[in-house]
Formats: sequence, structure tokens, C-alpha cells
Amino acid sequence: MKLKIIQNRKYNYTLSLIMVMAAIISLLIWGLKPSIDFTGGSLMEIKFNIERPAIDQIQSGLSDLNLGELRVQPAGARNIILRFKTVDEETHQRILSQLKSKFKDVKNDSIPALVEERFESIGPIIGQELAKKAWMAIVLASLAIILYIAFAFRKVSKPVESWKYGVAAVIALIHDILIVVGLFAILGHFAGFEVDSLFITALLTILGFSVHDTIVVFDRTRENLAKHYSADFEAVVNDSINQTIARSINTSLTILLVLSALYFLGGKTIVNFALVLIVGIIVGTYSSIFVASPLVVTWHNLSKNFKNRK
Amino acid sequence: MAKNPFQNFFTPGPRGKLRWLIFGIVILFIFTFFIDVFGFKNIVAQKLDQGLSTVPVVSDWRIWPKIEKSPLDNTKGLKFKNIKEIDLINYGLPFSLGLDLLGGTHLVYDADVSQINPSERADALGGVRDVIERRVNALGVSEPLVQTNQVGSSWRVIVELAGVYDVNQAIKMIGETPLLEFKEENPEASQLTPSEQQQLDRENKAIEEKAQAVLPQILAGADFAKLAKQYSDDSGSKDNGGLYQGVKKGAFVPEFDDVAFNKLKVGEIYPNLVKTQFGYHIIKKEAERGEGDNKEIDVRHILFQTKTAADLGLKINSEWKNTGLTGQQLKKANVEFDPNSGVPEVGLEFNDEGAKLFADITTKNVGKPVAIFLDGSPISIPRVNEPILSGKAVISGSFTTQEAKLLAQRLNAGALPVPINLISQTTVGASLGNESVQRSLQAGVFGLLLVVIFMILYYRLPGVLSVIALFIYTTIALALFKFLHITLTLAGIAGFILSVGMAVDANILIFERLKEELRAGKDLAAGVKEGFHRAWFSIRDSNVSSLITCVVLYWFGSSIIRGFALTLAIGILVSMFSAITITRQFLRLVSGWRPFQNRWLYGVRKKTIT
Repeated sequence: MKLKIIQNRKYNYTLSLIMVMAAIISLLIWGLKPSIDFTGGSLMEIKFNIERPAIDQIQSGLSDLNLGELRVQPAGARNIILRFKTVDEETHQRILSQLKSKFKDVKNDSIPALVEERFESIGPIIGQELAKKAWMAIVLASLAIILYIAFAFRKVSKPVESWKYGVAAVIALIHDILIVVGLFAILGHFAGFEVDSLFITALLTILGFSVHDTIVVFDRTRENLAKHYSADFEAVVNDSINQTIARSINTSLTILLVLSALYFLGGKTIVNFALVLIVGIIVGTYSSIFVASPLVVTWHNLSKNFKNRK
Repeated sequence: MAKNPFQNFFTPGPRGKLRWLIFGIVILFIFTFFIDVFGFKNIVAQKLDQGLSTVPVVSDWRIWPKIEKSPLDNTKGLKFKNIKEIDLINYGLPFSLGLDLLGGTHLVYDADVSQINPSERADALGGVRDVIERRVNALGVSEPLVQTNQVGSSWRVIVELAGVYDVNQAIKMIGETPLLEFKEENPEASQLTPSEQQQLDRENKAIEEKAQAVLPQILAGADFAKLAKQYSDDSGSKDNGGLYQGVKKGAFVPEFDDVAFNKLKVGEIYPNLVKTQFGYHIIKKEAERGEGDNKEIDVRHILFQTKTAADLGLKINSEWKNTGLTGQQLKKANVEFDPNSGVPEVGLEFNDEGAKLFADITTKNVGKPVAIFLDGSPISIPRVNEPILSGKAVISGSFTTQEAKLLAQRLNAGALPVPINLISQTTVGASLGNESVQRSLQAGVFGLLLVVIFMILYYRLPGVLSVIALFIYTTIALALFKFLHITLTLAGIAGFILSVGMAVDANILIFERLKEELRAGKDLAAGVKEGFHRAWFSIRDSNVSSLITCVVLYWFGSSIIRGFALTLAIGILVSMFSAITITRQFLRLVSGWRPFQNRWLYGVRKKTIT
């Protein structure tokens, strides 16, 4: 059985185009929702050993502290997460002591009624620095990978020049990143997903993975061309995809297996990280099979037509 | 003629060489496995320890030699311990866990260096760092990390404290600007009058009696935590029922330490009141972990604070009097050596205002001592030999070079007070950290199992071999984390779990290739050879791209993200070794055995080997 992936490439292109457009539009409309890592601000997670009080009770208990826009969110079974502006240590302690004095266990006071599980207060300057660094990291990683691909494929020449493989792999890579970022813009708008430094980490990891599978297919094309390059280029590429599709899927599958273990069992701070990676791996595998190689063929045909017309 | 077996042993044929290789791999596995298991401070060793000591036969094995020093004759004896008695947790290297797993706080300070000459900024920051380090050490934090770095034009001080329970106090201590003062003798120094002393004694007697009244209730079994809340004057522990967790020796005043560490057994309450500079304590030891320098205890106490003269509004004039000369007027301090004797000294240089003040002070106090106070306590009390008008002074004493250097640094820190400002704080509670460790471990084990099942079902015999290689991979990578002192953060563990999924990728590429070669009619040995050879380029190219991102991530990252980049990179590198070298040797070995030559085992349909 042979899949006609190259022959049906217009369907793949349509699907990818729709996804990329949707991603770009949602990015333009909603944008990503930055977390306090980038904007500065405070996050405080409190675990209640008594019954969790209502949110407006907590709100009103802290209303005199001038915390800016205070958002209170339940998390898990017994926790709440408070978000507010950057505060100094004194205010932090005052928040804690006010909460402690307001919410007490009336029957048994030998264990504390509430415990602070984590507290982050990030100054706006630190946030700006991190945002700048994140952009630089993404650009730097992309450039390094582009250079590497160009280098790795420098020896393939006929009938398609090596740098074209590199460009195709990079287009597929941009495609992956756009779709992932777009999806999380949508999730940010509808589910309150926030972009933090772990998100950037996940994106950079996807950059590395995305070319992983693409390289495997290209390698096979390279090898097949060396064996019998006189054959129809389209057929050679399609054969190469078919020969490598099982390994492309399997290599991603093993990674997805561990990631889903991390998603379902890992701690709450790592769940979003795992989710971004899962989406990235799926999109990356799709693009390495259905986008990158077809692009090389399309390009080859276009330049062939162009030459013939001349 | 029969071959000489010894010759065969030392100059093996190709098959024998292979056996040696496999033997080497097994040794590597056992070695790294032992490194992994022993000294895992958290869960694995505990579970293993509990598990082993309940198994009837195993618990009687005498396996672990321990050199024991007998306290009487001071000789060393080699003893073999039963598994039951072995505390696995305390052997070997520990994993170093990050703040997010251990619980702790990460503080970023911005240093205001606008008042300081650009060329001296790095030194000034170094001074601030040393001061903070000393202050943090006084808190009894284990392995605090204090770093300075420059971001653009601003200077930062980063402080990481693991396992601190009172972050608030830590922040307070760090934030204080070091205060250097010069003081002269106070002619009006005075003591308490006898009647005032009596009044103070009376007050404190009452406090002691109150404590004596509570002690029997506690010894009779009353709820310690509740009484601590009711009576304790220690605001730091009162709300926790008097509890301090994970305390190491030296954190408390000596009297308290002695009782808590040496006199009490776990669960016991000390039958007498313990008197310290703070007052009277009732002490109960709750738990104890570790040995030697790593020993940690959980302890509860109730403090009945005694009064001081100041509490009663009584005034005593101290021995030393302020002169108005402080670190503000010190230009710099540096280490000098006496040109005659070569003894290290600390040289001081004042600014104009300071020079004038210092001239006055020294003129007034010829033949008398002048004290230099840092943060309220005297660090040096030199005697003035003659008036000093030059604005320069030398503190000579019996310093070692190291001490002189330290003093100069401390003086400079006082002399160059760089105001620091807390701009970012991340604090993770120990309970959240502990939960994160447990859940990550769980996720790791399940992830590994899923991969194992998949590989065996899909790739059959080679799959089984790759699974063995995967386990070896896991032990090697974990051992490397210990050897290289890699701080495991939550993201780092995630990176490692991810690398488990990636570790078999190379195997998948190889096995698919092997199948193709077999289908093309090659025999097993040739197929294995070709499979590895052909797949290598894809494996190399695809892993390099991941390594590139690891490098960028390491550069980008805060400590949390660096952990991820490091574990992932180590994972990728080790997996290239395990998936390629180890699996290949296994495959070569196994494919030589007759029963393992059935092609079904390799996922290829044709029944026999041609």
C-alpha cells in the first residue's frame, strides 16, 4: 500500500493554509496573553486546610491593601491563586497575616488554616528583560537551525539544489510554530492560558523537534536520488515519504507517550508545558510528512516550468 | 590441537570481543545503578529501604560494609550491616534538587550603583555579595547561592535560598545596608544600679515561674502545639505550634542546640527549662534525619522571653560612644603589608569630611582604644598611638592575610553602601515542592513503561533489546546528573522524561532500517550492520538540531530553564551512546544465537533465514 501524499498535496496545502491563517488571525485579534513572567506582577497560591472560603470573601478581606486589580481563582480542590500587581515584601506579609486572621479554624487551631504554597512577585523591569531575551532566543535558535540544515544538506544537488531543502524545512518549521502559537492565542482568549517562560522553552524545544522528522524524510530522498535519480522526482519523493512514514510516526509517538504521562500525572506547574509540547510534536510530525517534502516538489516543478518557458 | 584457553581469553576472536563489550556494558549498568539508588534523598531510596527491610530473607543479608569508629578505643573496624539496618538514603552522592522541588526562595535585587565610579562597580557588588553571603549564612541556610550579574547598565544580585521557612526574615536580613561605625570610649559608661538589677531579676523570676507552671502540663501530655500558640513569645514559630522543621546544627544558640541535638531523642520533651539569651524554652524533638553534618531535626519549642533593661525602660550607658564617623566617610579599605615585618594589615582611607573627623577623634583619644563596629558589633578595637591627620589609617592586629582581606571587604561593603532593592521574588513552599517531585517521578515511571510496552509490541526482539538499553540509558543519565552536580528542577525532570521518549528514536530509525534490509534479502548479520550504518546519518542530523536548541535555551534561561536544557542535552548525548552502541552490541550478540534467528522476531514475515 502506498499513500499518494505528493500527488494529493493540494489538500495538505489547503489544510495547512487554513490552520496558519486561523493562527495568524487569532494572533492579530487576541494576541498571546503574557504571564507575570513578562509583564511583572504577583502570583500567590494559598492552600486552605479548612473549607475554602468564597472568592468574594477573600477579595473583600484584602480590599484595603491597594493591590491594583486583584483576581482570585480557585485551583485544585483546596487552593486559590491570587494575582495582583508587584508588591514589596511588607505588603506580601500583610496579605498573609490578613488572610490568616480572617480565615481561622474555629474548632481546632493546632494546624494552620492556610499555608502559602508559592509566591512570585516579579518587577516589570525583569519582565521586559525576559521578553527581550525570549525574542532573541527564538530568533537565534531559528537562525542556528537554518544554518545547520543548509550545512547538512550541502551535498544533495541533483535535481534540486541543497539549499531548497533547507528552505522547505524552515517553512515547515515556521508553519509549526505559527500554528502552535495561534492555538495558544485561542486558548489564551477562551481558557485563560498564559504564556510564561516555560512556554518559550517549549517553543524552542519544538523548533528542535520539528526538523527532526523532516531530516529523516529528506535523508531518505537524498539516498534514493543517489541510487536512481533519473526517475521521476515526484515519485522518488513520494516513495521516500512512504518508506519513512512508519518511523516518523513512531519516533513522535514515543515522545507523545512520555509527554502524555507528564500531562496527566505531572505536577500542576508542568501541565501547560507538556500540553504545548504535545501540540508542537503533533503539528511537527504532520508538517514533516505532509508539508516539507511536497514543498520541495512544488518548488522543483515551478522552476522547471519556468526554465522550459524560457 | 586444543587451543590454549588463556590465549583465547586474552586475545579473543570477534565473538569473544563482543562478549567483553557486553560484559563492560553490564558493569557500567551496575555501577551507575548503585550510584543512582544510594543517596537519593527523597523517595526512591526511602521506598526501597522500607521495601527491602520488610522482605524476610533479604533483610538478613549482610551486604554493606561499613567502617565504624569505635568510640572507646578509637580504632577502625569493618562491619557488615544487615539490610534492615542500612539507611540507604545516607550513602553516596545526593541528587541536587532545585528550589522549586526543595522549596525555597529566589530573590533578585537591583543594585543602585549610580553613586559609584564605573570602574569600581564590580568590586562594590562583590562587597555586597559577601555581606549578603554572611548574613545568609547566619540564617543557617544550607548551600546558599549569591550571585551578581550585569544586565545592560543595571547590576543585579541574585540570592537563592533553599528550604528557608521564614523568607520574610531572610529578606529583612539581606536588605539591611551594612553599617560601619567608629566609636570612642564612653566616659559615662554605667551599669545598672543594684535596685534596678533587683527589679529586673524580679520580673524575670516571674517569667521563669510562669514557664515552670506550663512545663508539667506539657510533660503530662498536653497538646504542645496548642500551648505553644497560647504561650510562646517566639513570633517566628508561634503560629506553627512552635515548630521548626529541617534545622541543622548551629542554627540555634548553643544551649538550645545542645539539648535539641545531643540530649533529646525523637519524640521526647526535655524535662527542664532551657535558659538562653532569649529566655526560657520548653523543647520537644519531633523528628531527625541524616547523619553527621547533614543531620536535620524537626523541633518544637515554647519561648518565655525574659526582659532586658531596655524593656523596663532602664537606661544603661554603653562602653562605647558614637563619634559621627561612619562608613559613609570611608573612601576605601584595602589589605596592606607592614613593610618591616610583612604582617598583613588593613589600610583605611577617608574622604575629606572623614579625614577631618578622624583627625579630631585620634587627637582626642591618643593612648586610648577606638572601636570599629560593623552592624552593631565590634570587629576591631585598635589603640591610637598618635593623632592621624592624613585621612589614612591602618588597623594592625594579628591578622592572617585571609582575615585582613575579609575585613577589608567588609569595610569596603560598609564604605560603599550600594543600596539594593528587591525587584523580584519567587518562593515555593516545601509541600508543593515535595508534591512536584512525587508527581514527576510518577509521570516518569509511567512514561517509561508506556515506551517499553510500545517498543516491545511493535519491534519484538529488537524492541526488547532497546528496552534494556533504555534502562541502562536511564541509570547512566541519572548517575551523570549526580556526578556533574546538575540541579534538578521541575522543568529539568520534564526534560529528562522527554529525553526518555527521544532515547528510543534512534532505535526506531535503526530497526526500521533493519527490517528493510531483511526484506531486501540480506542475512541478519549484514542487516544489522547496514541498519546501523545507514541510520546513523539521520540520527546524527536530527539530534544535532535538538542540541542546538538546548544550547540556545541554556543561554536564554533562568536557572529553571537551564536545568531543562542541561538534562535534555545530556539525555540526547547519552541516548546516542545507548541507542547506538549498546543496542548494536546486544543485537550482534543475540543475532548469533540460533533460536533468535527467526525472522518473525524482527517483524519481518519470511520465516527462515536464507
